[in-house]
Amino acid sequence: MRPLEQIFMVGPGTEVFYSFIIIVCSLMVYFGTKELYELSSYKGIKYFRLSFLFFALAYFFRSFITFILSFFNIGTIHEFSPIFMPIGPLTLLLFMYFSSMALFYLLYSIIWKKWDKNSIMVYTFHIIAVIISLVSIFSRRMEVLLGINIFLFIFVSSVFYVAHKDKKIKNKWNNLYAVYILLLIFWVLNIIDILIPPFLQTFQMVIYLASCGIFLIILYKVLKKTGN
Amino acid sequence: MIKRGKLEITKDILEIIYNNKNSIKPTPLLRKSNLSSTRFKEYYTNLLEKGFIQELTDKDGTKYITLTEKGFRFLEKYKAITTFIDEFEL
Repeated sequence: MRPLEQIFMVGPGTEVFYSFIIIVCSLMVYFGTKELYELSSYKGIKYFRLSFLFFALAYFFRSFITFILSFFNIGTIHEFSPIFMPIGPLTLLLFMYFSSMALFYLLYSIIWKKWDKNSIMVYTFHIIAVIISLVSIFSRRMEVLLGINIFLFIFVSSVFYVAHKDKKIKNKWNNLYAVYILLLIFWVLNIIDILIPPFLQTFQMVIYLASCGIFLIILYKVLKKTGN
Repeated sequence: MIKRGKLEITKDILEIIYNNKNSIKPTPLLRKSNLSSTRFKEYYTNLLEKGFIQELTDKDGTKYITLTEKGFRFLEKYKAITTFIDEFEL
């Protein structure tokens, strides 16, 4: 193993700790905004909260994937047989579904006013998330898995950009847009890290630290604004 | 004139009740809310259903509207709700 890999690679303990931080941050965002939603019944807050609930669920299944990989001493989740060892593919299916929905809900929290007339949009997101999950299980080709995630990144970031540009806000370059884009980048890297572990192994620690930082920034902003 | 959003209208109605020593009859509330009677009825029913306001009747049979604890809480948190929505562009 090269020295750089030794520094930036992480063990199972670090994986669990990392997931724990993200799950706690996401749940704190979810429960911290409960009262604001209960009082306002505002749809944007509802989708924002759901996004972080789904992030928490996704990270729970992510840590479960790393646990079973380490328990069975297996390199990638695709080495599990869907028929004889369904626990691996099933966990991956749930992880991919919740993670895709987390991104879609975050996206929808920003653009719901424009798309709300078309109430089937949320159902469409669920269907897309299920398709992404199924493709992730059954496709073992690296190009397909990378392609899906790059497509997801381009789609979500461009809608974020258009929505952000259209809004009449005082500071067009407020740091929220930057935080969301960083969240998106590191989220995709996290998914690639789970689907194709050798691809980003050298930079695991960097990805984990950056992801924790982004979630902590969002939590700080939420707590500051909710007054909790 | 800028169109008021649902949250702002809710806040305005609750504020009218609050500024009237937390007791107002339905007709002055309708007048002060600057809404058509149809829209006012929609909001009024919604506020009752959500538990923000309650109807009280005195011994003469006159109906009064007062804020509930949840209604007071909404007014307290209104600024936090709107700044949160702006901050996260929701």
